[in-house]
Amino acid sequence: MLKAIIFILSTVVLFLLFNQLHKKYPYPFLLPILTTTIVIIAALLLFHIPFSDYMEGGKYIQHLLGPAVVGLAYPLYNQRKLIMKFKYTILSGIFIAMISGLISVYVILKLFKLDDSYILTALPKSLTTPIAMQVSETIGGIPPLTAVFVMIAGFTGALFGSMIYKLGKVHSPISRGISMGSASHGVGITKLKEYGEEDLSIGSLSMGLSAVIGAIVCPIFVFIFF
Amino acid sequence: MRIIRIIAQIAILYIFYYVGVFFVEITKLPLPASVIGLILLALCLQMKWVKVEYIREGAGFLLAFMTLFFIPPIVGIIDYPELLSLEGILLMVTIFISTLFVILFTSKLSEKIEQKELKLKEKKEGEERVVESNHLHP
Repeated sequence: MLKAIIFILSTVVLFLLFNQLHKKYPYPFLLPILTTTIVIIAALLLFHIPFSDYMEGGKYIQHLLGPAVVGLAYPLYNQRKLIMKFKYTILSGIFIAMISGLISVYVILKLFKLDDSYILTALPKSLTTPIAMQVSETIGGIPPLTAVFVMIAGFTGALFGSMIYKLGKVHSPISRGISMGSASHGVGITKLKEYGEEDLSIGSLSMGLSAVIGAIVCPIFVFIFF
Repeated sequence: MRIIRIIAQIAILYIFYYVGVFFVEITKLPLPASVIGLILLALCLQMKWVKVEYIREGAGFLLAFMTLFFIPPIVGIIDYPELLSLEGILLMVTIFISTLFVILFTSKLSEKIEQKELKLKEKKEGEERVVESNHLHP
């Protein structure tokens, strides 16, 4: 019991510290999800603490993830007017991103002859982390590995997105927002700030909508192809 | 007072979450319970069955700390050292290529769709204007 309390407190304190650090220096590699996780993993390895011991405390923190995901309905509800403004473009764009992402991951990994369990783990990579991990669990993937892939998808968008828009001559804020939000979620859309407010708000709307749509489309895709 | 309000509102969010859990339990569908709860809450807000004031502060509080809640499960990669094997690297390269492809493909296609939607809107507004002017001068 004491151990559990120590794990809970140290995780919360580390997170709050790294959250403050990221607010002061908002670089993507200082995101609290990276810094906090790396420090906790290093500590567990250093003190030879098994993950199952850590989760005796960690499970209480993780428990709040359920209602927190439910709470995502609030920002989506707030953006309902924006959805109606460009409903065909936004909805079809999100579907295009979803389907092209699922098929490209499936085809490439089949070519590499990778195990089905790894393919299932990689499929939800474009969704926002909490939802991606839960989708991964329901379709039989490995949730913590999915979280790593989600981060890679996010950083790919954040670091190379503007290059792609330049090469592809993409000038529309709506298209940039949809593609970044539905391919690279929260990490990617931080880069959209440089383009403007419209990019950013369409980006965060697309991120939320694509997470909800992905949570339904991913299991259907798995049902058909596996 | 504010803290009590936040706790009560989190309890409301928990109710939606457990309705989602119950739904998944009885239908046996492979859907995440929390997303079912999300859709249900969005629906209730849209239909005005639940006032946005009943969840605003609770949702705001949980969303501000969202990252904290999924750090413990991510630490679980400690049990998957294969991430650093050849397979792990192939997986990461695939994610990278797929993401670049999706961004390019989606942004180009949605630019085309956007132009169509704008034209459609202009046409519609144009027609409405015609109808209005007909109404004014029959």
